[in-house]
Amino acid sequence: MKDRMDGSRGQISLSAGVPTGRLAPVRRARGAIFVAAYLVLTYGIAQSSLNLQALALVAAVFSILAISLDLVAGMLGLYSLGQGGFFAIGAYLTTIVAAQYEVSVFWLLPAVLVVTGVSGALIGAMSLRVSGLYFAITTFVFTLVLTVLATDLSITGGLQGLLGPAFPDFPDSLAPLGTPVAWCVMLALLVAIALVWNIRRSPFYPVLLAIRDAEPFAEAAGVRTAVIKVGVFGLSAAMAGAAGWLFSFLGVVSPGQFDWAVSLNILVMVLVGGINTTLGPIVGAMFVTMFPAVVNIDPWLQEILYGALSIFAITMFPEGVVGLAKRRLAALLKPMARETAAAETPMAAPQVARTVEADGAPIVECRGIEFGYGVGPKVLRNVDLVVRRGHIHGLIGPNGSGKSTLANIIAGRLRPQAGNVLIKGVPVTGQAPSERARLGMRRTFQAAQLVRELPTSRNVMVGLYNGVPRIVRRAPVWPLLPSGHRDAASMLARAEQALRAVGAGNWVDARVGDVPHGIEQLTQLASVRVAGPEIIVLDEPATGLSMSEVDHLARLLGQLKAQGVTMIIIEHQTRFLFPLCDQVTVLNAGEVILTSTAEAVRADPTVRQIYLGEG
Amino acid sequence: MLQFVLSGLAIGAIYGLMGMALAISFYVTRVINFAQGQMMMVAIMIVSALTAADISPWLSVLIGLVCACVVAVLSYVLAVRPILAFDRFSFGWLVSTLGFAVVVENAAAYVWGPTSRAFPPILNDISVPIGDSVLTAQQLLAIGAAIVLTAAFELIRKRTLFGKLGMAIAVDPEMASAIGANTTAVAIVAFALSGLFAGVAGVLIGPSTFANPYLGDTFGTYGFIAMMIGGGTEKPAAAMFGGLLLGVLAEGANATINSQASDWFPFLVLVVILIVSPRGLFSSGSALLRLRPARLAPGRPVAG
Amino acid sequence: MSEAPALQVSSLFAGYGRFDVVRDIGFRVEQGEAVGLLGPNGAGKTTVLRAIMGLVKHRRGTIRVGDADVSALPPHRIARGLAAIAPEGRRLFLDQSVEDNLMLGAFHLRRDRNRVQELLESVYALFPVLRNYRTRRSSFLSGGEQQMVAIGRMLMSDPEILLLDEPSEALSPVAVDNVVRALIELRRRGASLLLVEQRVDVAIRLCDRLYIMTHGEIVDEMNPETVRQEGLGIINKYLG
Repeated sequence: MKDRMDGSRGQISLSAGVPTGRLAPVRRARGAIFVAAYLVLTYGIAQSSLNLQALALVAAVFSILAISLDLVAGMLGLYSLGQGGFFAIGAYLTTIVAAQYEVSVFWLLPAVLVVTGVSGALIGAMSLRVSGLYFAITTFVFTLVLTVLATDLSITGGLQGLLGPAFPDFPDSLAPLGTPVAWCVMLALLVAIALVWNIRRSPFYPVLLAIRDAEPFAEAAGVRTAVIKVGVFGLSAAMAGAAGWLFSFLGVVSPGQFDWAVSLNILVMVLVGGINTTLGPIVGAMFVTMFPAVVNIDPWLQEILYGALSIFAITMFPEGVVGLAKRRLAALLKPMARETAAAETPMAAPQVARTVEADGAPIVECRGIEFGYGVGPKVLRNVDLVVRRGHIHGLIGPNGSGKSTLANIIAGRLRPQAGNVLIKGVPVTGQAPSERARLGMRRTFQAAQLVRELPTSRNVMVGLYNGVPRIVRRAPVWPLLPSGHRDAASMLARAEQALRAVGAGNWVDARVGDVPHGIEQLTQLASVRVAGPEIIVLDEPATGLSMSEVDHLARLLGQLKAQGVTMIIIEHQTRFLFPLCDQVTVLNAGEVILTSTAEAVRADPTVRQIYLGEG
Repeated sequence: MLQFVLSGLAIGAIYGLMGMALAISFYVTRVINFAQGQMMMVAIMIVSALTAADISPWLSVLIGLVCACVVAVLSYVLAVRPILAFDRFSFGWLVSTLGFAVVVENAAAYVWGPTSRAFPPILNDISVPIGDSVLTAQQLLAIGAAIVLTAAFELIRKRTLFGKLGMAIAVDPEMASAIGANTTAVAIVAFALSGLFAGVAGVLIGPSTFANPYLGDTFGTYGFIAMMIGGGTEKPAAAMFGGLLLGVLAEGANATINSQASDWFPFLVLVVILIVSPRGLFSSGSALLRLRPARLAPGRPVAG
Repeated sequence: MSEAPALQVSSLFAGYGRFDVVRDIGFRVEQGEAVGLLGPNGAGKTTVLRAIMGLVKHRRGTIRVGDADVSALPPHRIARGLAAIAPEGRRLFLDQSVEDNLMLGAFHLRRDRNRVQELLESVYALFPVLRNYRTRRSSFLSGGEQQMVAIGRMLMSDPEILLLDEPSEALSPVAVDNVVRALIELRRRGASLLLVEQRVDVAIRLCDRLYIMTHGEIVDEMNPETVRQEGLGIINKYLG
C-alpha cells in the first residue's frame, strides 16, 4: 500500500485501496441490525401498558443522562455531579415556558439545548481552574443551588412542583405507531447512543483520552485542551438538558427529582454499568431505575438490597459490569502481541518532499531565562541558548542542574520569570504548548505520556491532530461521512507507517499498557515524527533503553537530521549523545557553563570536574 | 443579637463535629464517606431505643457511641478498603459509601420504623440565661463538647507520635509505610474516631431533633458544607470553624430574613466561599491567608 | 550478631505492569559491608531498592535481610528494624519538624524510650547541625540538611541494612562531602549499606564492592581499588 505524503500539513490521500475498509461492510451490517432491533423495541414500548411505558421511558431518560455524564467523566476524566442541575434546567424551562406561552414544545428543545449548553460551557470552564475532587464539589454545589432555587421560587411551584406539558399527539396517519412520547424518548436515546458511538470510533476519541490521561502529550501535539474540555462539557450539559425536556412530558416536575442525590445516582449508574463504555451507562441506568419495580418486596428491604448490591458491584467489578465484560471478551478474541525482540531494522524513511536547508540560522533562541519556584534558589539563572536550524543540540548537566526545566520552558510547559523564548524569530514566551505545535515544534517526555488503554497506533494518531482538518466538528457523525472513513483510514495508515519506520511495527495493535518500555519510547517518537515537525525537543530519550535500543535510537535521530529536522536533546548518556551533536550546552546549578562542540565539551576541565568521571 | 450568635454557635458545634468526622476520615484515606451522617443517626437511634427499654441514659449514650464507631469501621472495611486496594485513585468509593449509607439508613427504618421516636432530654430541660439571651444546658454542652473535642484532636494530631504518623500518612502514604506505618490500622482508627465525632454530634442534637432514621442525610450534608467552608480537607480542625461560622450565619439569616432561610442560606454561604477561596477559608493558598504578612523562611543558605 | 549476610537478593524479577523492569538480580551485602549499585538513569537501580523495601511487588526471587525472609512482607513490617530507606528526593514529611521526622523513623520502637533517646543522640552526634534545627520545619532546610535528616530517619529504626538512593543528587559539592563523611563514619560504626549512585566518585569513596547495572540487569562486579587504579574510564563503557 503506497502512501504519498507531501511535506505540507495539508490534505492527505491514499492512492490505493483502504485496508481498514475490510471490516466496514461487517460493521455497517451490525449497525443496521442494531437499529432495526431498537426500532422494534420502541414499537413494543409504544404499544404497551402505561405502567410499563413509564418504567421504560424513565429508564431511557436516565440512560441519556448517564451517557451524557460518561462523555465527560469517562472520556475526559472530569467527574461531574452537575447533571442533575442541567436536567433541572431543561425540565423546568420546558414546563414553565410551555405553561406561560402558547409555544409548541418542539421549539423549546433548541432553547433548552442552548441554555444548558452555554451554562455547561461555563461550568466546564471552571474545571480549568480547579481540578479533580474540587471540581466535582463545585458541580455538586451547582446542582444544590438549583434545587434550592427550584424549591423556594414560586414560579417553579415549590416543593410540589409543576405538571409538565402534554406531548402532542401523532397525526392520524401515524397513530398506529402507539404513544408518541415513547417514540420521541426512544429516538432521542438512539441519537445519544449514536453520538457517543460515533465519537468513540472517530480520531477524536484518542485525542479525548489523551486529554484525560496524558494532557501534556495532547498539548504538545497541538490540541487546545482547554477549548475541548469546555466544548465537550457544554455538549454533555446540552444532552442532560434535552433529557430534562423529555422528562417534562412524563409527569410532574419537582425539585426532588433533580437534587444532588439524583446527580450522585447518575454517577453511580455510570460507575456500576461501566465507565467509558457505550452500553455501560445504559445498563447502569436500567439497574438503578428499574430495580424498585423489578424487586417488589418490602420497600426498606428493597433499599437495603439495592445498597448492598451497589457495594458488591463496585467492589467486585471496579470497572463496571460492561467494562469487565469487554475486557474478558477482548482477552478471548485477541491473540497477545507477539513478544519478539523489541526493535526491528527500520525501513528506509520516505523522503520528505520539503527540503529544509540546514542553513545555520537560529531557529530556537533563549535569552536571559530566569526561573525559580517562589522562595528559594533559582533553578535557572540568566540562561542563553541558540539552536541553529538543522543542528542537533545537546543539553547536559548533573541531576538538579535545571536542564529539564529549560526543556519545559522551551516547549512551553513552564513560563520563565524573566527572559524570552523565540522560535523561528517569533517570541513565544507565555504561549501555550499547543501553540508551539503550530510553529512546527514537537517534544517527547522522559516518562512517556501516552494513553495506556489504547493501541500504539491510536496514540500516534494523536500526533496527526493538527494535520487533519475539522476532526472535532466531524466526530459526532464520523462513520456516516465518506470523508470520515477516508481520513480515518489514512491517519491510521500514516500512524502504522510511522511506527514501522521507528522499528515498532510488531506492536501497532498492542495497547501501550502492555508494551515494554523501549516500545513506549519508540511510540512517543513515532507520534512526534508523524507530524513532520521542524523542531523536536527530546527529554532523556535513551532512559531505560537497552544498548541495542540506544543504537537504534541514534540511527533514527540521524535519519531525522538528514531530513533537516532540528533537535534539542537533553541526555545523561553522553556516549550516545556526543556523536550526534553539532553543539552541546552544559548546565550546572542553573547556569550555562559552556556551549561548544562535543569534543570541546568533553575535553573541558570545568565540565570534567562537574561530572567527575562521567563521559 | 447575642441570642442568635449563641444559638448559632450551639448548632454550629453540631455541624462542626459532623464536618470534622468527614474530615478525619478524608485526611487519612482521601475518601469522602457518604455514610458519615448515618453514624450520627445510629447513635441517636440506639440511645433512643435503649432508654425506651429503661436503660440509664448515660449507659445508652456510651453504647450508642460505641455502635457509631463500629458502623464507621465497618464502612471502611466493606466499602472503602476494597476500592482503595484496587486503585488508590479510583472514584468507586462514591458508589460504595453511598450504598453503605442506603443500607444503614433503611435497616434503621426497617428496625425502628420511619417515624420519630422519643429521645432522652439529657440536659435540654435546663435553661441558662446569659445576659439577655437564654440557652439550654444542652446547647452549652454542645459548644463545650465541640471545643474540648477539637482541642483534643489537634493536641493528639500535633503532639502525639500517633498523630504525627497520621499527618505523615496524609501527606505521603507510601513513605509513611516505608517507615513502619500500617496504613490500614491507622485508617481503621481514623474511621473509628470519625464515628465517635459523628456519634457525639448525634447525642448532642438528639433532644432537639428526636430520633428518626432519616436524619443522617441532612446532617451529613451540613457537615460536608462545614468541612468545605472551613477547609477541612486539608486540616480537620478547620471544619469546626467552618461549622461554627455556618451555624451563626444560618441562625442569623433565620432571625433577620425569615425562618425558612436556614434551608437555603448555608448553600449560599458555601457558594460564596468557594468562589472566594475554593479550598475553604483556612486552607493554604486561601485568599484570606494571603492578607497576613508573608512569613520569611529563617535564613537558610542557598547551597549546601 | 548472626553470621547471615545483612542482605541477600537472589533471582529477583520485578516491575510495574506486565513487563519486568529488573531481571534475575542477585547479590549480597555482608554484615558491615557497603555495596554500590551503579548505572545510568533507567537501569532499574531504584526498582531494586523499592523491591527490597516491599514497595514493588516482585514476581520471582527471594530477598533476605539477616535471618528474615522479607520477600512476602509488606513495607511497614520490613521497616520495623529490618531495612530502612532514604529514597530519591529524600521525601521528608516536610510539614513536620526535624525531630518529628526523626522520631517517626523510630515509631516501632516508641515503647522503649531509652533506646529511642540513645538513637536520637547518636543521630545528633553524627549530624551536629541538626541539633540546632531540631524544632525547625523540614521544608525550611537546605537540600544537604534534608539529606542528613533522611539518613537520620533511617538510622532511627535501627535497621540491619541501610538503603540509600542517590544521596548526592542535586547537592552542592560541599553538601555531598558532608554526606559522604557521615556515611564513612556510619561504616566505621559497623553499619551495612546498599548505595545506589550515579556519581562514581562518591561510590568508590564509600563502597567495598560495586555492581554495575544497565537495562535491568547486573552486568559486572568491580573492585573500587581497580577503578581507582585504572581510572574512572573503566566504568565509562557502561555509563553514558
